[in-house]
Amino acid sequence: MKRLFILLFGASLMTIGCDVHEGPPGVTNTEIIIGNVQDLSGPMKELGKLLPSGSNLYFDYVNQGGGVYGRKIRMLVEDGQYNPQKTLTAVKKLIEKDKVFCLYNVIGTSSVEAVRPLLEEAGIPLVAPATQSGTMSDMSRQGARYIFHTDTGYDRQASILTEYALGMEDNLKIGLIYQDDDYGENVLKGIGEAETKFSISVQKESFQRGASEFTGQVMNLIKGGCTHVIIAGIVKEPIIIMKTASRMGYFPQFLGISPTMDHRVALAAGAAGEGFISVNFAQLWNSNYDVPNLYRELCQKAGIPEKMMGMYHYYGFSTAMVLVEGLKRAGKMLTRNKLISGLESLKNWDGAGIQQITYNRNDHSGAEAVMLIQVNSGVQVPISGWLK
Amino acid sequence: MIKGRYEDEDLKWIPFLIGLVFLIPFALKGMTFSYKYYLYILNIMGIYIILTVGLDLLSGYTGLISLGHAAFMAIGAYSSAILVDQVGLPFILSLIVSPIIAGFFGFIIGFPALRVSGMYLGLTTMGFGFIIRRLIIAMREWTQGSGGLVVSAPEIFGFTIKGDWANYYLVWTLALLVIVAARRIVKSKIGRAFMAIRDSEQAAQASGINLAKYKMLSFFISGILAGLAGTLMAHTNHFISTDHFDSMLSIYFIIMVLVGGAGTIYGAVIGTVFIVLLDNIFVPKLESLLHVMISIKSGELESFVFGLIMFLSIIFQPTGLYGLWLKIRIYWKLFPFNPKKRFT
Repeated sequence: MKRLFILLFGASLMTIGCDVHEGPPGVTNTEIIIGNVQDLSGPMKELGKLLPSGSNLYFDYVNQGGGVYGRKIRMLVEDGQYNPQKTLTAVKKLIEKDKVFCLYNVIGTSSVEAVRPLLEEAGIPLVAPATQSGTMSDMSRQGARYIFHTDTGYDRQASILTEYALGMEDNLKIGLIYQDDDYGENVLKGIGEAETKFSISVQKESFQRGASEFTGQVMNLIKGGCTHVIIAGIVKEPIIIMKTASRMGYFPQFLGISPTMDHRVALAAGAAGEGFISVNFAQLWNSNYDVPNLYRELCQKAGIPEKMMGMYHYYGFSTAMVLVEGLKRAGKMLTRNKLISGLESLKNWDGAGIQQITYNRNDHSGAEAVMLIQVNSGVQVPISGWLK
Repeated sequence: MIKGRYEDEDLKWIPFLIGLVFLIPFALKGMTFSYKYYLYILNIMGIYIILTVGLDLLSGYTGLISLGHAAFMAIGAYSSAILVDQVGLPFILSLIVSPIIAGFFGFIIGFPALRVSGMYLGLTTMGFGFIIRRLIIAMREWTQGSGGLVVSAPEIFGFTIKGDWANYYLVWTLALLVIVAARRIVKSKIGRAFMAIRDSEQAAQASGINLAKYKMLSFFISGILAGLAGTLMAHTNHFISTDHFDSMLSIYFIIMVLVGGAGTIYGAVIGTVFIVLLDNIFVPKLESLLHVMISIKSGELESFVFGLIMFLSIIFQPTGLYGLWLKIRIYWKLFPFNPKKRFT
């Protein structure tokens, strides 16, 4: 037994220091491997299919054109189940086992917060985390140097929506229905700032993630006399909330944070959703601009079903463009630090079909403006320019 | 003669186990470049073992169901994060105080256990989990609400424990201590009282066992161990949020205990090892294999495999993996005098 121990221990010690790495992980002469963690089987599994599909649409387009400096992009997608613990494990696997070059589109605010220490430890960039939380661009947080946010934060969106609502009419009372999680927490922060700035009081009603019954919250908003209601939900929630309110004979002006911008909200809410105003941080996927046109053309060529096309699918597509631009700017001798420098050289860059993106060493927020979209006769139409 | 469940243990293999645990990181580093990932999985495994051993004391030995153990874990995690980072308590003291706080909550939950049992107790503990989540969100000033809390790395006597390698030794030292302590408990008067309550409350009471005292003690000990697991989770992950401790995690823990074999400490350990490996190593491998063959989507297989394992283990192996191991061991001990029907 003793001998066996000594043998095992000796053999193990001999192997220490055997790691030899050449060049950055995940990069060969022909390929760049990137890692993505999506919710494939949790509460947001619908998005888990749409976002990578949109991204792959653009990566395939780039790969067919020869890739980036001859290297094709390959995206590995892991299931994080929208759970920070699972996401942490998945990211650990992508970094340590799959040896990805960089991370991209990891979904969920608390999930991304959970992986910050890993980003710093591995020195690996995370481009376009799939959350609009304002905390993503907070440069005082751990690992902030490695996170490149592409969207306007929920807190900023909430503040802009409140200001917009206040300009709509006098003597109004604003209410908020928010998802009681990290997303809602960031919206609350923005609402709190707006309350202080405009000396108002917003009535706040919360709901748990996955809820499908909102009668109590709507009743409280009626009791509070709210004339304008901001919804911080995803897709299902605004539909049910507006339909519930309509059934109860309550017709305030509904406004929504960006995840409610999906065109299916307008389709499914029907008459109850007429006039619904939501925040958008990108060009509309069905608008007549260069990137949306390219998106629809590639969708058609790839045979993407029409029901998949929309805001979330387009989000995957346009954020992939930001990553590819960063890779191009990083140059042929690709390293993680060069990708960071490449992205930090973006200044008012508008090539991704979203608003202008600017990064520098002290600012990784990317975008700070939003456009408002209103449902008009069942169709989403822009009603503002870029608001800051 | 076949020895019973309470036979004196052969402890010769314990030093071998300790040696093995000590050597695993070195062996992993030698075998694979991905050793950090596997060390991380082992750390999670160690933390879960601490919790499931406690859950086994409660559910397997005392017969009290808990569907809220993730909440005890959350209490330990948040208590330690607040005590260390906001109050300034040294981590080594928090390692004692935070589990006791979780144990105290366990003690409180022990009260309803005096009046309700079975499914109703399960629902009560599940409700407790929801209450704790609301409390964490409401105590925003300390917990940052749903936004989550950044937690510092553990520091013991001036030495900061950082990285998977150092965490491994912290986690597994405590896990081994917990396993040994739990074995001692179940062989003591307390353990015998727990089992008597599980087998028949009336008989236990008639034998002079104070039901209230021992049920609450069982919840208290189980809460302490879950709190300890939470403390380690917080300081090794460096970030906690309410999403880390959802109700599904409690069910996950129950599955570990049942698959390993409830009412056997080693069963909880084996069940945890099996489920963690299955979840992180085998299911992903099977998924990638099936993805090539039948184009199955990632994530869809996991719940199917877990459901199937629960289903099969309850029907064909109710004594769990540890029970299976005991059967095999006895079979070979008696070989060739081993009529098959005695072991089926």
